[in-house]
Amino acid sequence: MRNAVVEVLDVTKTYPGGGARALDGVSVAFAAGTFCAVMGPSGSGKSTLLHCAAGLDRPDTGRVVLAGEEIGTLREPRLTQVRRRRVGFVFQSYHLMDSLSVWHNVLLPQRLAGVRPDRGWAKDVIRRVGLAGREDDRPARLSGGQRQRVALARALAGRPEVIFADEPTGALDLATGREVLQLLREAVDGLGATIVMVTHDPAAAAWADRVVFLADGRVAGELAAPTADLVAARMTAVSAR
Amino acid sequence: MIRLAIGTLRRHRGAYAGTFLAALLAVALLSGGGLLLASVLTATPPADRFAAAAVVVSGERAVTVETVTHKKKKDKDKVKRKVKTERLTGAGTLPTGLAARLADLPGVAAAVPDLAFPVEVTAKGRALRGADGAPVVGHGWASAGLTPYTLRNGNPPGRGEAVLDADLAARAGLTTGAEITVTSRTGVRALRISGIAAPAGRDGLPAQGALFVADTEAAALSGLDGPTAIGILAAPGAGDLRAAVEAAIAGQAPAGQAPAGQAPAGQANAGQANAGQATAGGSTVVREVTVLTGDDRVRADLPGALPDYIAPISIFGFLIGITAFAAVFVLTGTVTLGVRQRLRELALLRTAGATPGQLRRLLSLESLLLAGCAAIPGAPLGIVAAETVAARFRRLGAVPPQFTVQINPLVLIAAAAAGLLVTAVAARIAGRRAARIAPTQALTETAVTPAGGQFTRVLSAAVAAGGAVAVLTFVPLGGPFGMGMSFVSSALLLCAVAALGPIAVRPLTAVVSRLLGAGPVGRLAGQVTRAEPRRVAAVAVPLVLMFAINATMLLNSRMLTGIAAGEQAARTAPATAQVTAPQGLALSTAETVMAVDGITGAAATIPTRIVVVAGGKPEDHAAQGLLITGTQPALDLGFTAGGLPDGGFAASRYLAGLYDWTVGQDIELRLADGHRVQLRLTGVYDRSRGFGDAVLPAALIAAHDPRGLVRGISVRYDPGTAERIRAAGPGVIVTPSSATEAAGDAQEQQGAWELMVAVTLGFTAIAILNTFAIATTGRRREFAGLRLAGATTGQLHRLAAREALIVVTAGLALGALITGIVVGTFSVAQDGVFRVIVDPATYATMAAGVAALGLLAGVLPARVLLRRQALPALTDDQ
Repeated sequence: MRNAVVEVLDVTKTYPGGGARALDGVSVAFAAGTFCAVMGPSGSGKSTLLHCAAGLDRPDTGRVVLAGEEIGTLREPRLTQVRRRRVGFVFQSYHLMDSLSVWHNVLLPQRLAGVRPDRGWAKDVIRRVGLAGREDDRPARLSGGQRQRVALARALAGRPEVIFADEPTGALDLATGREVLQLLREAVDGLGATIVMVTHDPAAAAWADRVVFLADGRVAGELAAPTADLVAARMTAVSAR
Repeated sequence: MIRLAIGTLRRHRGAYAGTFLAALLAVALLSGGGLLLASVLTATPPADRFAAAAVVVSGERAVTVETVTHKKKKDKDKVKRKVKTERLTGAGTLPTGLAARLADLPGVAAAVPDLAFPVEVTAKGRALRGADGAPVVGHGWASAGLTPYTLRNGNPPGRGEAVLDADLAARAGLTTGAEITVTSRTGVRALRISGIAAPAGRDGLPAQGALFVADTEAAALSGLDGPTAIGILAAPGAGDLRAAVEAAIAGQAPAGQAPAGQAPAGQANAGQANAGQATAGGSTVVREVTVLTGDDRVRADLPGALPDYIAPISIFGFLIGITAFAAVFVLTGTVTLGVRQRLRELALLRTAGATPGQLRRLLSLESLLLAGCAAIPGAPLGIVAAETVAARFRRLGAVPPQFTVQINPLVLIAAAAAGLLVTAVAARIAGRRAARIAPTQALTETAVTPAGGQFTRVLSAAVAAGGAVAVLTFVPLGGPFGMGMSFVSSALLLCAVAALGPIAVRPLTAVVSRLLGAGPVGRLAGQVTRAEPRRVAAVAVPLVLMFAINATMLLNSRMLTGIAAGEQAARTAPATAQVTAPQGLALSTAETVMAVDGITGAAATIPTRIVVVAGGKPEDHAAQGLLITGTQPALDLGFTAGGLPDGGFAASRYLAGLYDWTVGQDIELRLADGHRVQLRLTGVYDRSRGFGDAVLPAALIAAHDPRGLVRGISVRYDPGTAERIRAAGPGVIVTPSSATEAAGDAQEQQGAWELMVAVTLGFTAIAILNTFAIATTGRRREFAGLRLAGATTGQLHRLAAREALIVVTAGLALGALITGIVVGTFSVAQDGVFRVIVDPATYATMAAGVAALGLLAGVLPARVLLRRQALPALTDDQ
C-alpha cells in the first residue's frame, strides 16, 4: 500500500505471564484518509495491535512504521514525542483531565508538545463536534457522549496523521454512540483524517471503509465496504474457528 | 459485610498502606507518650531509707488546702470538699520532744529522730556525688539504724568525724582516716572519716549518698531545730503500732483553730496532727503530721533525696498532648483522604444496591480492621519510642537518672483503642457525605466529591479560631503556662485551617500558582492545583501542621531563652563580676566574701521556692533569698514600684499581678520547709526570668530551705579586688559579668523542648510523605490520561515537582501566618516587644526543611508511580 500511514510488519507480542502470544506475526497497513475498523472476539489481540501500532506498547519482534518513521524500536521519551505529534487517541473511558476545562483539555497535547496551539482550529473542531459554548465546562459536568466528543476534538485539534480509537462507543448508549461514529466518519470525509478503530460491535464497524478481522493474534481476513450484517456474519465465522 | 471489607482492603493494598502507616504511627506515638506519662506518674522511689522502721512519723512535706463549700438545697446541707496539695521542696520538722514520748509507747523498741539535710562534700579537691550525680544527704548516726546502714569498717562518728556510705567512699577512693570538707547552710567543716557503712547487700542507696555525723553535731551542721522525721522501730512481737502512734500524736496536740493571721513559728506548730489550721480565704490550710507505714514510709524522706518526678510529669504531659494532637490530626486527615480517593468505588457500590448505611458500615469496618492491624506493631513500636525518648531525657537531665519506662499493658490497650476510635470516627465523618451519593449520580459524578458542607467548614473554623483568639487574649502568656497555651492556640488555629481546608487554600493557590506557573508544565500545574483545592488542602495541611507546631515551640522556647539571657545580663549589668563556688557558699562564707576590702556593692542570692495559698489553691514559685551589702547596687532587678526588701519581700510583676498584690501589703508566704511567714511587699520588679518571682531576706531562706546555699554573688569592686575575693573564700570562682552564662535549668528546658520538637518533626515528616503518597496513588488515572495526551515521563515529573512547589508555598504561607499570630502574641505578652521571626537562622532552617521535605514528598511518589507504570495504564477497571 503506497500511501499507508501506519504499517505493522510481522509483529509478535507476548505479555509477561500471559502464555499465548497476543500477536503472532501480524502484518497490516492503514491507508491515509481512510476509516478502518479492527474487529475480533475478546482476546483476539485487537487492543494489543492498536497499542503497538500507536506506539503505546513495543512489539517483541517485527516493525511498526508510523508516518514513515520506524517506531518499533524507539524508546521513551522519544516515543512519546512521536506519538503526540503524529497520533490522536479516543478511548472508551475518555481519559480527559477532570481538573481542566474542555478548552484546556483540547489544547493539552499541543501544550505538552510545546507547540503554539492553533486556537482557531481548535475552536472550529469544538464547534464541529457540537460543543460550542461548553469550552469552560469541566468534563465532570458533561455527559458520556459529550465527553467522547471532547476526546475526539482533542484528537483532531493536533492534526495528527492518524487517530486511534479504542472502543469509542463502548461506554455510550446506542444513539449517542451513533452520533460519535457519525462524527468519526465526518472527520475522515470532511477533514481528511485517518482513523483506526478497535471495536467488537458490528454496527460500529459498519461505519468504516474497511474491516480487519483478528483471531488468536493473527489476521483472519478483511472486508471492504462493510455492512453490519456482513460484519456480523464474518465475526460469527471468525469466532467459531 | 466483613468479608466485603476484607476483600476491599486486600484489593486496595497500596491505597490502604498510607492509612495503615498513619494509624500505626499514631498508635505508636500515643502508646509511647502514654507509657512515659504513666511511668512518671507511677514512678516509685528507688529505695526506702526507712526500711527497718515499722512506722515513720513525718513532718510537713506538702501544703494542703481544703476548701469546704456548703450548699443548701431543699433543707439538705450538701458539703463539697476540695483538697489541693502542693509539694514542698524542703522538709518540715517535728517537735524535739515528740520522739521521747513516742519511745515510751508499748511495743516501741526505739523512736529515732531522723535528720536529713543536703550537704556538699568535697574530697581531694573534687565534689563528691553519688551514682548518676545523686545528692549527698547528711544524717545523725542514729538514722543509720532506720535503713539499716551497718559499719563495714571503722567506728561510728565522733566529734569532727563522719561515716560515708561505701558507694561514695569508693567513688572518691576514700578510706578511714581521710579528710573531707562538708558544706551545708550552716557553714564549711572539715571532717575526718571514722568509718564506712553500707545497707545490707549493697554499697549505698540509689539516688542518694549518705553521710553520717555524730548525733550531737547533726543539729549544728544541718541548722534544723527538730527532726524531719521520726522512725519507730518495733520491739519483737509488737503488733501494729500505727494506731497507737497516731493516738499519741493526736492526744498531745491541742485541738482547735489556730487564730488566723497570727503566724506562730513553724516548729511550734508542726507537731499538731490535723489540728493547727489556718483559715485562708474560705479555705483551710491543713497542717499535718503524717504517720506512714509500708511503702508510704519513703515519703518521709528529704524531698531532694528522692528523684523528682514532678517536672517530668509536666514535660511528658505536654509531650503526649502535642503528639496526641499531631497523631489525631494526621490520622484524621489521612483517613479522610483515603476515603475520598475511593469515592468512585463507593459510588459503584451504591449503584450495585448498597444503602448509605451499608457504605458507612463498610467504611467503619474497614477502618477498624486497618487500625486493628496497625495497632499490633504500633504498640511495641510505642515501647521503643518511649525507651528512646526516656534515654534522651535522662541524658538531658530532664528526668531523674533512675527513671525507667514501665510497660503498662493498660496504656498500650488504651492507645490502641484511641487509634481505633479516631480512625473509625474519621472514616465515618469522611464517609458521611460520600455515602449520600445518589446512585444515579454515581456514574456521572464518580470522580467528584459531593460539594457542600461549606457552612459546616466555616462554622467549625470560626469556633476553633475563636478559641485560639480567646486563649491568646485571656490567658496570661507571660506565666508558666505560656508555652502550653501558645501550643494550644496554634493547635486551635491549625484546626481552623484544616476545617477551612479548600476554602483557605483556594485563594492562596490562585495567587501562588500564577506566580509559579510559567511554561507549559507550570501552567498545567497551576490549572490542576486551582481546580483541585481539596487535594491541595489535604497535602498542604500536614505541611502547615509541621511548620506551625514546631516553629511555634522552637521559636517561643528560643525567645524565652533569649529574653531570660537578656534579663540576666540586665540584672547583672551593674556588677563587675559574679562570684560562685561549685558547691555553693554557706551564707556565712558569702558574708565574709562580701566584706572583702574593695567591694563597693554585693548581692548574694540563694535559690529557693515558696508556696502561696490563694483561692483555695497552693501554688509554688521560684524565689531567691537576697542579701545586699555595700553602698553601690550590684544587682538591678528593674523595680517598677517600691524597692528592694529590707525585712520584707519583693515580688515580680507577674506574681504581683497574679495575686493582685500592692506594695505595702502584708502577705503570707510559705517557705521551702512549710514555715509560714508574713512579710510586707516592698517592691515589684521586672527582671524575673531565670531568677525567681519573689525576693526574700537571705537569712530567712538560709534557715528554711534545706540547701540554703548561696549560688552566686554579684559583686562590684575596685580593680585588684578579685584576688582578695579568691583568698577570702576557698574554692570560689570570680567570673566577669560579661562572661556569665544562662542558668542551667533554662538550658535543660531548651533541650527538652528541642527533643519534643524532634519527635513531632519526625512524625509530621512521615505524615507529609504519607499524605503525598496517598494523594499521588489516587492520580494513577490522571497521570495515565496525561501520558496518553502526550506528556513524557519527564514532563510528569516536572508537573509533580511544580505542583509540590505550589502546595509547599501555600502550606508555608499558612504555617507562617499561624506561627506569626501565636509567636507575635506570645512575644508581646513576654516583654511588650513584637517579634515574629525571633531567630532568623532557626526560622529559615525550619522553613527550608519543611519546603525540602514537601518537595521531596511531592516528587518521590510520582516517580515511583511512573516507574512502576512505564506505559500508561490503559485498563479501565480502576
